[in-house]
Amino acid sequence: MRNLFAFIYRFRGFLVFLLLEIVCGFLIVQNNNYQGAAFYNSANAYAGRVLEFQKEVSDYFRLVEVNRALVNENRRLKESLTNIMVSDRLDSIPPMPDSAYRVKPDSLTLAQQRLDTTGIVREFRFIPGKVIKSDVRRVDNHLLLNVGSTQGVAPGMGVVSSNGVIGRVKSTSRNYATVYSLLHSKMAVAAKIKRNNTNGTIRWDGENYLVANLDYIPRHIQVQKGDTVVTSGYNAIFPEGVMIGRIISVATESDKSFYNIRVRLSVDFNNLTYVYVIKDLNKPELDSLQIKSGIAKDE
Amino acid sequence: MSKRTFVHIFQFFILLAVQVLLMRNMVLFNTAFCFIYVAFLLFLPIQMPKVFLLVLAFITGITIDVFYDTVGINAAACVLLAYLRPYVLALLTPRDDYEKNDSVNVHKMGWRWFTVYSMFLIFMHHLALFFLELGSFRALGFTLAKIFLSSLFTFLVVIIIQLLFFSARRTNR
Repeated sequence: MRNLFAFIYRFRGFLVFLLLEIVCGFLIVQNNNYQGAAFYNSANAYAGRVLEFQKEVSDYFRLVEVNRALVNENRRLKESLTNIMVSDRLDSIPPMPDSAYRVKPDSLTLAQQRLDTTGIVREFRFIPGKVIKSDVRRVDNHLLLNVGSTQGVAPGMGVVSSNGVIGRVKSTSRNYATVYSLLHSKMAVAAKIKRNNTNGTIRWDGENYLVANLDYIPRHIQVQKGDTVVTSGYNAIFPEGVMIGRIISVATESDKSFYNIRVRLSVDFNNLTYVYVIKDLNKPELDSLQIKSGIAKDE
Repeated sequence: MSKRTFVHIFQFFILLAVQVLLMRNMVLFNTAFCFIYVAFLLFLPIQMPKVFLLVLAFITGITIDVFYDTVGINAAACVLLAYLRPYVLALLTPRDDYEKNDSVNVHKMGWRWFTVYSMFLIFMHHLALFFLELGSFRALGFTLAKIFLSSLFTFLVVIIIQLLFFSARRTNR
């Protein structure tokens, strides 16, 4: 027994080293799981506060840029609203019951009425949030948002900005959420080419944060440079038709049945401020159906 | 608690703050990263007990991991650095052993000693860090470029810190 203790004491350096490395290895493997321990990432309250403070300071230097982006988004929304207003859809909506003459209806009531009349159930809700940390140059990049479970954010939800797809929520604390960026080696987004509705998968290869690959587009499909790639809506994370990017190069390899397609992402991940977390109101129903029918396993 | 202990505690917080608030956003040519927080481990006293050093390295790494969202990766690299450090120090022992008030200081120990010591440890740390982050051996060339350039960058910043804040006179106390 004494020899054993003597042995342990003699090699204590190596043994402690081994023990700590095993702990690290365990943490690394565990963190790769979908819902890692929420404390050990930047969503914990202390780290979140430090990073939020940093972002607040650095944001002062980009106020002009942020405002311009918001104005642009406003302009786009206004344009699409105007398009709805002048289109013939407006005529199909009955005038307000208590008004003698036809008033310009509020856009929200307009949309609500349209949904009510067509019988479509509202599927997605947007939770606005601010990015307080964003990496682009690592192999697995993450974002940190200043919205958390209090605001209704839950792991697995999709995140978009006004320009396109951002990523998927990894874990949440009360007031913060960490997000798998699209620039993450294990992130894949179901995508399609808008022009001909061909489905593929968007993956990032880890080098340039402006460019990703579009995989699994078969070679008999006509693909052109400049084609728009959007989400396909085949999973309950993103709605259909959210912008991802544009194709910048198409190549074929003789021994492969798929194209090598490079896509320039529409989002500049190095320069994010406001994003929206998408809450799919039908997700519980979809998930339970899939589990019940044995298509997907419980995560 | 001697004055030296306080200096090291102070260094810990300052270097961590610099790393998280400043260096996290500073990447040269998309390849050269700076992990200046390892300077805290490099500058610890030479006669530091092994086990204590390992534990300190683990704590430092985990703290950085929290801000980088890379649980365990920085910690693993730091623990490796802390494990190798006593061996490197033993290899680099001057002819008549370390003196009692020797510390990791470029003026005190000389340029050659300091360069070999810090460059090797920084390189090992970055090697572990980038390959753990990658999780495999794909994109080998790009990763190696990242490792070499980042080591050089971190080393340069370590030297700058030494020249700015570690005067030759102060260590003769």
